Amino acid sequence: MTRPRRSSALTGAAAAAALLLLSGCSSPAPSGGSAEPVEGGTLTYASGDAEPTCLDPHVGGNYPQALVSTQYLESLVSLDEDGKILPWLASDWEQSDDGLTWTFTIRDGVTFTDGTPLDAEAVRANIAHVQDPATLSSTGYLALGKVANAEAVDARTLRLTLSAPDSALLESLSQPWLAIQSPEGIARGMDANCAAPIGTGPFAVEAWDRQSSITLVRNDDYSSPPGDASHEGPAYLERIEWRFLPDSASRYAALQAGEVDVIDNAQPDTIVQAQNADGLQELDAPRPGSSNRLELNSGKPPFDDVRVREAFIRAVNVDDAVQGLFLGTAERSYSPLSSVEPLAYSQPDLFEYDPEAANELLDAAGWTERDSDGYRVKDGERLTLRLPVSTNQSIPAEQSLFEQLQAGAKDAGFEVVLDPLDLSSWYGALGENDYNLVSAPYTKVGPDVLRILYESSGTTPAPSGYFANHAQVRDPALDDLLIRASQVSDPDERAALYEDAQRMVLEGFYILPLYDQQNTYLLRDDVQGLRALPTVSAPTLYDTWLDR
Amino acid sequence: MSGVGAPDRGSAAAAAPGPAPAGGRGRGPGDAGRIGAAARWWASRVAGAAFVLWAVATLTFFAIRLIPGDPAEAILGGPGSQASDEALAAVRAEYGLDQPIAVQYVRQLGRLAVGDLGTSYSLREDVAALLGAQLPGTLLLAVLALAVAWLLALALATWSTRGGRVSAAVGSGLEVIAAALPHFWIAIVLILVFSTGLGWFPPISTPGVAGLVLPVVTLAIPLAGFLGQVMRESLLDALEAPFTVSARARGESEAGVRQVHVLRHAALPAVSLSGWAFGFLVSGAVVVETIFARPGLGRTLLNAVTLRDIPLVLGVVLVVAAAYIVVTLLTDAAQRLLDPRTRAA
Repeated sequence: MTRPRRSSALTGAAAAAALLLLSGCSSPAPSGGSAEPVEGGTLTYASGDAEPTCLDPHVGGNYPQALVSTQYLESLVSLDEDGKILPWLASDWEQSDDGLTWTFTIRDGVTFTDGTPLDAEAVRANIAHVQDPATLSSTGYLALGKVANAEAVDARTLRLTLSAPDSALLESLSQPWLAIQSPEGIARGMDANCAAPIGTGPFAVEAWDRQSSITLVRNDDYSSPPGDASHEGPAYLERIEWRFLPDSASRYAALQAGEVDVIDNAQPDTIVQAQNADGLQELDAPRPGSSNRLELNSGKPPFDDVRVREAFIRAVNVDDAVQGLFLGTAERSYSPLSSVEPLAYSQPDLFEYDPEAANELLDAAGWTERDSDGYRVKDGERLTLRLPVSTNQSIPAEQSLFEQLQAGAKDAGFEVVLDPLDLSSWYGALGENDYNLVSAPYTKVGPDVLRILYESSGTTPAPSGYFANHAQVRDPALDDLLIRASQVSDPDERAALYEDAQRMVLEGFYILPLYDQQNTYLLRDDVQGLRALPTVSAPTLYDTWLDR
Repeated sequence: MSGVGAPDRGSAAAAAPGPAPAGGRGRGPGDAGRIGAAARWWASRVAGAAFVLWAVATLTFFAIRLIPGDPAEAILGGPGSQASDEALAAVRAEYGLDQPIAVQYVRQLGRLAVGDLGTSYSLREDVAALLGAQLPGTLLLAVLALAVAWLLALALATWSTRGGRVSAAVGSGLEVIAAALPHFWIAIVLILVFSTGLGWFPPISTPGVAGLVLPVVTLAIPLAGFLGQVMRESLLDALEAPFTVSARARGESEAGVRQVHVLRHAALPAVSLSGWAFGFLVSGAVVVETIFARPGLGRTLLNAVTLRDIPLVLGVVLVVAAAYIVVTLLTDAAQRLLDPRTRAA
């Protein structure tokens, strides 16, 4: 089985050849050898993610919205596979020397699917929409944090004025949460726009049958593919049936039965089954932003002592657990950033399993006694670590991983208390600072995610009690690095600053990196030309065609 | 069931003028008293139903507000998104979540009292309309599952009481196992065998009859186990009851004895169990609708609880409670039809 990573689109011939070789059976050769894409047909996509509560990704802003909205909405810029910015709805841009003024040229000749033309004023209206508190935007709102003013200078020219230089601005604008919608559509009000946002994308929302499916139809006037797409003009597929199949086993069964053509959120056991099955392909597209990692709450005992943090990290054998539970489908990470981030920095030697060192560190930190259960005790307090687990975000394999780490930590004298919680309760536990360890992946394009996750201001809770700096890192030197990196315009200088910042996070033992945010799609082998858009690794069905 | 059922049957019996002869309804001098008694019976039923609905709404409201988690955060914060202060404040104001919980409760109850189920937090749609769209699917599933469970249980109970010791042991063993099987396990096994293996039925809900088969059977199997146990027990009792002996003595055929006399008795406890079965089916629907990706009340409830979507949770719970009350009334009525004794005493 071929394992394209991230966006390498499977060309029909190569895939068919590989499948034939692997299957070794004498079934008639799939006509996938024909390089000519076939027009038409309906593709059924089955998502295991939550059904969005609103199809407009300006509202809220989460991954399930990004998955589907990538089919009907487009952003000002995109990324190629190497993380280089590509023009999209903005054909060109320029920043002033002080980095405070950005001038974008808006692509000519593009219309929204309601017939409204795309112009600078439409883009301005979108930025205003995201920044309006009534829109209830969270992800997009944060990404535009430094945009003080947006102005349509003329029909094709948009000027953004920033409150401080923002080296992450283009990466932020590439995200689906800041996609551009028809201002006429937005003007219909939140309820109507949530039900069927209007964009410039290759497909348009036709109907949303709640708790069941979204029907998308081809935009026959489509004219604005990003530069790395493999064709121009309208999409090949006529329709997409976007279904919600929350159960992993029935989702895979539906793929095998041919009821659906593509599934997302494939779990490790399913991926292995698919690798051994005929007629299925795999697309592995880790999400950008942070890696999946355990964050060690340095804001309160016992992890306010760096020796105890290091002891925990040395005490647990992550490699064996990942290998055993993810069945070879996940690669161990040693970085705060996803492996798809070009600036990700790894330092594996800091995370070597060393139980002896763990015991010495705990002894040195004063946790010398053990109680009758074998847990370490200091001043009558047991060495207890509370780990709230979000059952919405941690897949079953990850929950089992935590159980294995719990067993390993016990040998060193840590009592790890696992607390499986639903999403709301989990947010509640974080807000009340009632945790010592937590796994909270964060998807964002570019290394600026480090500022959100590790800068001191991220420890100040919002009124909801929520904050992103779960490791509660408060280090002025790190703050300085992250802020400078977010403002510097020279790419080499930026890379060097982010490397220093990542080294500080790793050497401070604030996090235990586990693996990338897993994001694997499985598809039937008559599905050709599917790729993940290199921004947030959501699938794009624009180049996709059905070979049947 | 208990809140509506037990006490008023006693009062109805007390008001009845003497032991009415079986089958003697609607004739003779007891009519006026009996109509009054029936009116009181119905009045107390309606009052009981209203009380149950209020209690259900109150318990649900506080249960969902007292578990940790901020509905405003849940409305905005899917995995990986971080709500801004402004967005949270706006959501709290929009949904009245900034008020004290007592105020929220009274407001919510006031709206419910006039039949306004409100607007869903998470789906931004009218709750009544959402329920109207989701109810038929779940109802269809529950009714079909109940029917299939009845057929399975009857077949198994009749077969296992007719044969010898071995078939009795096998029958009761099957019932115990079936009753103990969790829905998610049955669903996965059925999918693996009949969908992935044999390719007879789709593994997920599709329009038409084929898509209904696996979900219905999944729900029916454990229920058939429960019903079968109860049926076989009463079947065995009835087979040895004096009226059976006398029917046999009159020379009636074995089939006649079973069909005319015994089955009617054996069905009684299973009928009254069907009220409970409805609740069992709705809770099973949460699992079955999720696994088979069927739209319905169960899946709606699961999503609504996860998102702390109070109006939607209350709406689903009230609809289920109301349906439960209606089903209980119907089973009571069915019982009165099947068993003349319950009409008198």
